[in-house]
Amino acid sequence: MCGVCGCNEHSPVMHGHAHGDAHGHDAAPGAAIAAHSHGELARRVEVERSLLAENDARAARLRAQLGARGIEAIGLLGGPGAGKTALLEATFARLGAAARDEAVVEGDCATDLDARRIAACGARVAQVATGSLCHLDAHLVEHALEALDLDGVARLWVENVGNLVCPAPFSCGESRRALLVSVPEGDDKPAKHPATVAAADVLVVTKSDLLPYVSFDLERCVAHARAVKPGLPVLVLSARTGEGMDAWLAWARREGD
Amino acid sequence: MHEARLCCSLLRLAEEALGREGGGRIVALELEVGALSGVAPEALDAAFPVCARGTPAEGAALRLRAVPGRDLVLRRLEVV
Repeated sequence: MCGVCGCNEHSPVMHGHAHGDAHGHDAAPGAAIAAHSHGELARRVEVERSLLAENDARAARLRAQLGARGIEAIGLLGGPGAGKTALLEATFARLGAAARDEAVVEGDCATDLDARRIAACGARVAQVATGSLCHLDAHLVEHALEALDLDGVARLWVENVGNLVCPAPFSCGESRRALLVSVPEGDDKPAKHPATVAAADVLVVTKSDLLPYVSFDLERCVAHARAVKPGLPVLVLSARTGEGMDAWLAWARREGD
Repeated sequence: MHEARLCCSLLRLAEEALGREGGGRIVALELEVGALSGVAPEALDAAFPVCARGTPAEGAALRLRAVPGRDLVLRRLEVV
């Protein structure tokens, strides 16, 4: 029997390890063990390090730096076309002149189209063109902030790349994240993307003005999301008609917290 | 989609650990993949051998273990 994993190979060395699954190895750390397929004695090195730890640490530092300046970073997650930029435009339109105290980091694979839309609202904006990168991370946001004057800023909005998969594990220094799901995308989106729901602090159902025209079951959508994250707050709004925007602004301002 | 980049982080952690151990060659890496990590094991499997080329982990076996949670943890190495 294999001395490493208990598999039923006869020789302790030089046996091919056909089962590629990761089985538990219970030998003591550092113990000399048979190196599979190599015929040399291998030793085990315990590491126990997280691949996400570097970004997590950077994000925590960024969050603390922003917090010390009285700035809260809010992340916007959602698929392409969920209405992330439109929600920011509607938010800033409601703030009027106070929009100058809002800052945005815009993540897109290409173009500064969104940054132009935000700048037109009077808010401060830095565009990150990620190229083929599928998500923002704390490092990219740190560099984006070098180009932003944050004096007097109340909130920093981090609009991630339109993507319901990749941004989830990579904090960008936000203290809260909003997950946007637009009505035309379908009520099953939270069920299909549990990792992103788990990373969110609020579910924002956007484009509510389209509810009469598409088959979107709001209750089902909320149930899918809360199956992943019980008690997740839900807001329903339309950036176009203004429905639900007051509650969204109250959430952004932490009113009632 | 970003699994190649994660492989770079994985290899960096592995090489740091190898350096602390006084060097050698990595023949296996055991990685815990959280169910909510958003990482596709198949994509990691595909990316790893390519990313490991020219490193002390070239040709090493990548053993993935599914665990709850969102984290990705390099649990241990086997080194010769």
